[in-house]
Amino acid sequence: MSTLDVARKDFLDVRRAKIVWFVGALYVVFMALLVYFGQYGVSEPNVRDALWNLTAVGALFIPLIALVTAYLAIAGERESGAIKYLLSIPNSRRDVVLGKFLTRTVVVSASIAVAFLVGGALALALYPSPAMDVIAIMAALTLLYALTYVAVAIGISAATDSRSRAMGGSIAFFFVTSVLNVLGPLQLAIDYLANDLAGLEISSEQILFVQSLISPTTAYVNSTGLAFPDGFRTIPEELPWFLAGEVMVVVMLAWLVVPLALGTVWFGRADL
Amino acid sequence: MAAIETTALTKRFGEDVLAVDSVDLSVEEGEIFGFLGPNGAGKSTTINVLLDFVRPTEGTVRVLGLDAQADTDEIRRRIGVLPEGASVYDRLTGREHLRWVIETKDADDDPTALLERVGLGHDGDRPAGGYSKGMTQRLGFAMALAGDPDLLLLDEPSSGLDPTGMQEMREIIRAKADDGTTVFFSSHVLGEVEAVCDRIGIMNEGRLVATGTPDALKGDLDLGAPITLEVDAVPADLDLEAIAGVRSVAVDGTTITATCVDPSVKADVVCTVADATAVTDVLSEDVSLEELFNTYTNGGHPDAETPSEASA
Repeated sequence: MSTLDVARKDFLDVRRAKIVWFVGALYVVFMALLVYFGQYGVSEPNVRDALWNLTAVGALFIPLIALVTAYLAIAGERESGAIKYLLSIPNSRRDVVLGKFLTRTVVVSASIAVAFLVGGALALALYPSPAMDVIAIMAALTLLYALTYVAVAIGISAATDSRSRAMGGSIAFFFVTSVLNVLGPLQLAIDYLANDLAGLEISSEQILFVQSLISPTTAYVNSTGLAFPDGFRTIPEELPWFLAGEVMVVVMLAWLVVPLALGTVWFGRADL
Repeated sequence: MAAIETTALTKRFGEDVLAVDSVDLSVEEGEIFGFLGPNGAGKSTTINVLLDFVRPTEGTVRVLGLDAQADTDEIRRRIGVLPEGASVYDRLTGREHLRWVIETKDADDDPTALLERVGLGHDGDRPAGGYSKGMTQRLGFAMALAGDPDLLLLDEPSSGLDPTGMQEMREIIRAKADDGTTVFFSSHVLGEVEAVCDRIGIMNEGRLVATGTPDALKGDLDLGAPITLEVDAVPADLDLEAIAGVRSVAVDGTTITATCVDPSVKADVVCTVADATAVTDVLSEDVSLEELFNTYTNGGHPDAETPSEASA
């Protein structure tokens, strides 16, 4: 399996990159702080509140971890020429894309796993009812969310030929799907295009669905209905089927597969 | 079977860059083939097509009898490549590079032996990011040698190497060729090619303008045999051009250079000059590859005809 040959060597390489471990460690610290201060000075602390706050932080922070870990995976090697060593031995271009995705997935998963283990341990120690099931579901959803951005970063990295373009593409994607999304303009833009310009008269729920197709961040935030009870914080009591948590998981899975597939095709056709 | 065979290979980048223009190249098994040309002649593009880094616009390419686009996995198993100007992985040691290549090729080489062979015996356990340019090149060469390839493809192998390093690399190349390995390497360092190659091919502006043994190409061009004499004083009445077989004479101070159609005429030139004045030194040169190269790439002889294939 050449994919594993690529992955083994790449893991050896990337695990020595300090920046990757730095952003991962930062997330662990966020998690520990949120869980700790979620109960500090609160008479009846609920671990769900801490996890809810973590979702808000993670919505912006998880993409950064994933993009920083993965955006240079292929483009960086194209710029330095090291890709020529990689492809002079029995590795196919698809092996390169999938092998790199595998290693970056392992690295990102490791920091998320550590963060949730630390968070879980603190919850057990500090909270009257730690709700481990909620923590487990949130860990799984957060992991899936992170991997969508790893897939996007690998896809962008496969489609670009230099560090600067890979960085530009990643920042642009992050800005539109995460920053503009969380701050609101993405929703307003969809509303304007669909209702004011095209006159489709779609509901705000339909807008939210379109938004989650465009942004893995929206899909992630909407999917947390699977972990929290209906009506908790801003989660509505009633949701149309297309905004159900399960559908959002499917949307995220699509965000995992499609960028990788496109990246493989682009990279497969490129002149190096 | 030819180790490398291209037929009407053409590569365009965009609309107006014609990097390689219908090249028919054939490299036989077991030979050392030198691929010459000035920068931008299309050498690297040709090599990149052989390795499937770049896809041809037209034409077919076969490496070790296999299709360069369809059978990449099998080709990469059987070739060793030293790419031009490629950086290695800064965070991995030399030994880790070699272990990785050996494992990927399912070979059984000993990394230590390979490191020693290229002169990196003491540096194998340092991260390659701290290597000098020459050491990086040696590591790349060791990676190319892993797995005892049937074909070595070396793109500008001597770049970054000092004269000792070049000498050592030439010795390894010769030893591999003696074992039956085909060696194909590109260079713009002419001396290196002349010293080691069985045959050469010259690229210029995307076209393969000549192929053949260095001797055949020299004979084909009929550049003449130059002889240079240092004398005390040039006699006024010296008429070397009267000698049959002398094509031209140039005098610069006390230096006389005569170009003969045939090396056997040189003795007549020396005798004639020695009769007329005291000769202090005699310099007899072979036609240099550089002259040959300049002729084909129009660097020195603007009136050179379009040369044809020289018989090897």
